Amino acid sequence: MHTYLQLFSVTIKEFFSYRLNFILWRLRILLSTLVTVFLWTAVFDGKTRFGYYSKEEMLSYVLFSSLVMTLVSSTRTTELASNIQNGNLMNLLLKPMSIFKYYAAIDGADKFMNIFFGVIEFIFVVTIFHVPLVVPQAIIVCLFFLVCGVIINFFINLMLSFIGFWTPEVWAPRFLFIMILSFVSGTYFPLDLLPTPVYRILLITPFPYLLFLPAHTLIHGIEQQYIVEQVIFALFWTGGTYFLAKKIWKKGLSEFSFWGK
Amino acid sequence: MKRNFTIFLLFAKNAFRTTSQGRIGVFLFLIGKIVRFVFMFYLIFFIFQRTRFLKGYSFEQAALFYLVFNLIDTISQILFREVYRFRYLVTSGALDMVLLKPHHPFLRVLVGGVDILDLFLVIPYGVLAIIAASHVVTTPLQIGLFILLFINALWITTSFHIIVLALGILTTEVDHTIMIYRDIVGLGRFPIEIYKEPIRGIFTFIIPVAVMMSFPVQALVGKLGGTLIGFSFVISSCIFVGSLFLWNIALEKYQSWGG
Repeated sequence: MHTYLQLFSVTIKEFFSYRLNFILWRLRILLSTLVTVFLWTAVFDGKTRFGYYSKEEMLSYVLFSSLVMTLVSSTRTTELASNIQNGNLMNLLLKPMSIFKYYAAIDGADKFMNIFFGVIEFIFVVTIFHVPLVVPQAIIVCLFFLVCGVIINFFINLMLSFIGFWTPEVWAPRFLFIMILSFVSGTYFPLDLLPTPVYRILLITPFPYLLFLPAHTLIHGIEQQYIVEQVIFALFWTGGTYFLAKKIWKKGLSEFSFWGK
Repeated sequence: MKRNFTIFLLFAKNAFRTTSQGRIGVFLFLIGKIVRFVFMFYLIFFIFQRTRFLKGYSFEQAALFYLVFNLIDTISQILFREVYRFRYLVTSGALDMVLLKPHHPFLRVLVGGVDILDLFLVIPYGVLAIIAASHVVTTPLQIGLFILLFINALWITTSFHIIVLALGILTTEVDHTIMIYRDIVGLGRFPIEIYKEPIRGIFTFIIPVAVMMSFPVQALVGKLGGTLIGFSFVISSCIFVGSLFLWNIALEKYQSWGG
């Protein structure tokens, strides 16, 4: 445990060594959030409701989901693909620690830094632009979905990096995944505004658990009619992605070879 | 001029050969870009399913803003893709070899990596823009102004890319600068009127995203005054002169890294 805490601490120190990089990264996130806030504010110009969302609910969704995304999507597992490609993975394998736990510790630090600044940006946007918010509800259930989302995304990202075992084309599949994820996770708008059959189908996939459900639960509380299946699928995908990642990791490792290290 | 064009074609051919080496990657990137375009277009469609106007613009007009943004952004990516790879030239010292060549360095570092991949996207964007424009009431004069402001927007993107190159030499930082440029320009996906002051003012008069992305469509639909049209050409000229000035300063300060 001490080793992983050290990794966590070293990663935090690394952030302070590349301060400008991190500041510019957060600036990009802030810009993206502001575009969405302004877009929805303009949509509500002269309107009180959009679907069954009030202005407060929609803007709360935008800002809460931005915070959730900051926590869920911040990851350093992308480095693993390069480490596989350039052979640095051998150095990691020689260390007396689990690769999964190694990246979990680094990811933890990454998420800590991002959420810390994410909260500051959240307060900044709400204060400066007078964004009306609803009072958060069902925080425990939201936290449950949030933890599941973080774990699911961690394993999906690991699996995307494992592609590096078989091909040098590691960025293209990740790019495609991010593009699809941005829509099906509910970044553009709340998924329950989609036609009910589409919404129900999406709930079967792991994507709404990464962003939509934690943010939606905070605003509307528990969805009584769907909560059981939501919890079951959240647990299913959390366990499922873990086992799948383990399986692909073993398969990739058995085929991994590198010269010149 | 002819010689420069021949060199440009040679670089473009080489860039195409490099890109076509990773066919699966090219295919997936292309699909990813189409997916992003379709989802964002769906967002606009989705909004207009429940509302008739967005800050006074109809669905066709809002779609036109998005399509023209995509056209300008994609054309600039086709032409200036090499800027994204500039940092390596600076940090490895390979820029020395570019500067020693008997042609203008911009032929290599600015337009030397034409991204053919994005050419496939320009055609559908253009067709969709024409379809959307056909639903908008306009006049020949407004169409003429649109074309002029569209070219003006490409001129501004050229200047911004030269600024990124100059900053690349001065700071060795390119990746974040170019991505921030792209994020800022991304504000132009939607009509500039959706942003509140002072954001709107900043992105019109200081960083002219609105001049690049919003003004051409505003002119087409007859919502842009003469003063702002004049201002567009003045600011693009100022930025172009400023970018060349910064580039010259960067070259003077360049001391060659690595090597």
